[in-house]
Amino acid sequence: MLTEPRKKVRQFLVALVMVLIVGLPSVVLAQEAKRPDPVLKDKLELGKKTYFKRCVWCHGVEGGGDGPSADRLFTRPRNFIQGTFKIRWTDSGELPLDRNLIDTVKNGLPGSAMPAWSNVLSEDEIVSVVQFVKTLVQDRDFEDEDEEVFIQDFGKNPWGTTGPYHLGIPQADIDAGKEVFLKNKCFECHGGEGRGDGNPTMKDDWGFPIFAADWQQCWNFRGSRRNHYDPFNVVRTVSTGMNGTPMPNFKDKITVEDRWKLAAFVNSLCPRKKIDKLASKPINDFLIKSKFTKGPISTDFNDPMWQAPDDDFTIKSRPEGFTGKKNQRWHYVALAGQITRGDRNFKPKVDNLWVMSNWSEEENAVYYLVEYHNRFLSIDPAFPDAVAMQWPGQLGDLYGAEKPYFIYGDAKKPVDVWKANFLVKDYNDTNAPNPNGYDLDVSVKEFVGRGFDAISDKETPGGVTVVNSKYHQGRVKIMFKRSLTTENPDKTDVQIPVKAFIPVSFMQWSGWDKEHDEHMAISTWCYTILEPDNPASMVYMPPILGVAFFGFQMWLVWMTKRTRKMAAEGKVK
Amino acid sequence: MNNVVKGILLYVVGWAAFHYGLFDLMKPKEFSWIANRYVYFLLFVFYCIGFNLVLKLKPPISLNGLVVWLLGLYFYTNILYPPVPWTLLITYMMLWTIGTFLYISQDPVTFAEFRKPIVKTVIGEYKIARYIVFIALPLLVGFGTYKSLEPKFEEPVELRTVHPAPPATTKVHGKSYKLEGLQNPFRTDEQDNYKDSFPFLDADKQEYMKSVTEGGTIFFQNCHYCHGDQLNGQGMFSHVFNPTPANFVDPGTIAMLRESFLFWRVSKGGPGLPNESTPWSSAMPPWEEHLKTEEIWKVILFEYWYTGWHPRTFDEESSSGGGE
Repeated sequence: MLTEPRKKVRQFLVALVMVLIVGLPSVVLAQEAKRPDPVLKDKLELGKKTYFKRCVWCHGVEGGGDGPSADRLFTRPRNFIQGTFKIRWTDSGELPLDRNLIDTVKNGLPGSAMPAWSNVLSEDEIVSVVQFVKTLVQDRDFEDEDEEVFIQDFGKNPWGTTGPYHLGIPQADIDAGKEVFLKNKCFECHGGEGRGDGNPTMKDDWGFPIFAADWQQCWNFRGSRRNHYDPFNVVRTVSTGMNGTPMPNFKDKITVEDRWKLAAFVNSLCPRKKIDKLASKPINDFLIKSKFTKGPISTDFNDPMWQAPDDDFTIKSRPEGFTGKKNQRWHYVALAGQITRGDRNFKPKVDNLWVMSNWSEEENAVYYLVEYHNRFLSIDPAFPDAVAMQWPGQLGDLYGAEKPYFIYGDAKKPVDVWKANFLVKDYNDTNAPNPNGYDLDVSVKEFVGRGFDAISDKETPGGVTVVNSKYHQGRVKIMFKRSLTTENPDKTDVQIPVKAFIPVSFMQWSGWDKEHDEHMAISTWCYTILEPDNPASMVYMPPILGVAFFGFQMWLVWMTKRTRKMAAEGKVK
Repeated sequence: MNNVVKGILLYVVGWAAFHYGLFDLMKPKEFSWIANRYVYFLLFVFYCIGFNLVLKLKPPISLNGLVVWLLGLYFYTNILYPPVPWTLLITYMMLWTIGTFLYISQDPVTFAEFRKPIVKTVIGEYKIARYIVFIALPLLVGFGTYKSLEPKFEEPVELRTVHPAPPATTKVHGKSYKLEGLQNPFRTDEQDNYKDSFPFLDADKQEYMKSVTEGGTIFFQNCHYCHGDQLNGQGMFSHVFNPTPANFVDPGTIAMLRESFLFWRVSKGGPGLPNESTPWSSAMPPWEEHLKTEEIWKVILFEYWYTGWHPRTFDEESSSGGGE
């Protein structure tokens, strides 16, 4: 039997142990200084071999981020010499942990040229190459007595959401996250709706231009670790900042709880799409479906016929009270730099477009709404922004899968290009976010391409118009319209049939980046189809067949009963 | 407890234990004679037969037929590796269904036994089952008709020849080359001697590595956007293009081609392809527009050095060694 005071002591000790068990890990993780992970010397030989086969081409012989590819990359490869690493668990300005660098090598840095190496290199090679990279750091020393690292406290996902899509976070927390976003003025760099369109003047530590992340394209988050919708990535970046970039940490300004809410808000902006794990990009839609309408088509962006959720509705159901057309959807079209012919563009600023389409029987016309994110637009009339749709000029002459050459056609097969050049009215790239958006001054050019160096204006244009346009919080919206058929005296206007697969492709020019002519971003050929109206037989055939089948069942019953009766009477065996 | 219920319970519980427990343990990364998916499947089949024998359950033929059919479905959807496309799956399952019927109708007794529950449903001895079947099936037929009449449009499938036949000669930078017998002028030594050499560091000491370094430099200034930093066709722009860029690590590309073929493909690019290889959508530039002849040869040399493959040669008709 314990005496009363002893009992109290024991209770106190139990409580103390409990507190220590619960509290210690976070105390150690959050506050105690740690030495950086030392260089594992026995790994250096393998690390050097791996580095010089795999990494040297971009990161350079001495790790200065100046390998042969560097000048043709945006974002440039990392310069290791200063020991500046973006994705860490340690405090701003500190060296990273080995496991941070290992995760970077394994998962790559989406949105840049750094690929994921986990499928190519063995665990040992990855650990080794990280050790070798640490020896390339010249300005600091992982073994220095003065170097300390503080592992930050990231808390825990308060909603217990899981990948890949992390759905189910309460709207109240997302709204609270938006308040954190406004209070801490994140929009100054990331823009009013998070498309990274806040600040065009930023530079990294080495003086190279750098842009804020576009939150609505989270598959390009460098620190996504190929888990693109995980709010932890955002919490980590907000807690540690990104060394070498203008992104500071907010660990003293925003509590851990609020950082999670902010992360929930940031991730709520990113459309839920099926992501190709190898490319870290949404999967392309190679067929753009134009929806049928009997009457006229609205040119208002807010009309229900132009509404579709950004999310793939097989992943995230349409929001409550959604009034748009059933089955209307955005089509995702990936763009790359035009790196094939003539003046090549290795650093495109736009890597995808979103396309939606309607066509009208009454108007005999088709409408394509093309949207894309572009952080900053041009105010220089010599370099207007532009987006274009490219069609086979002589669709009827193509046999089977045959198409014109995807860069402006070829001598035998011309293309019909609808190009919308535009400049923004009353705009300056350093303006504060403008919730009303900007109007565009659009002029449409139609031309015929017979090769990237043989482009000519049409003498008799086919009547393509841009019926509505807007630049709003980093997003361009252009709505093209053309009649399905034209007079077509020069035989180079595409004549658009209903219910047929028609090749179409897209081009885009960023005037801000002085893109022009074939120095542009381009998609490959995809298809579009003008979907016909639902056939009337959809209404009457199902009940007819259902009733017929019921009759067949009745006949089966009758037959079976008759057979049994005959068997009972001994007429059949 | 009814033997049938007992049997179904044992099937379901056993399958869950096998599928969610044992399956992952039985297919480790390293394939072995014991631990692999096919042995796993055999074990599961033994389990199914075993518990019926041990407990003397004597299941009715309809249950046996169902289990046999489901085992086939399970094999084709989950066990067989690599997975088969659904069109093939349907063909296999049709054959399997016919096989199951043969099994059921092996003699009149089992067939009559199999038929019994169906007949009882039809004539109304199983009342509830009859109502369900007789109401649900017409509705299902109606719904199926609606679905099949609804217009659906999927992107057309296009086939293309990946490695078209090369021409006999090709003209690059104004000079005509006969592809037959054409050799890489920078392949001055046996490639395997330089497996452990360093690009850049050994470029001063070794002539071969100098060419490899120069080839790699050109590759990483021009080609990696599509063919990838890892030469696996997964470059930062690769997902945009269709056809997707070639994967050089794959044994089906440069490992089975001659260097002269690569020289032609690189020099003439997409526009140089014949129509069966869809020249209109290939993003491959005619590299003679951007590179010198010797630069093209050096890139080719680099691609073989990096992947470890050996080019197919004119005297021996097979490629040897290499691969990642």
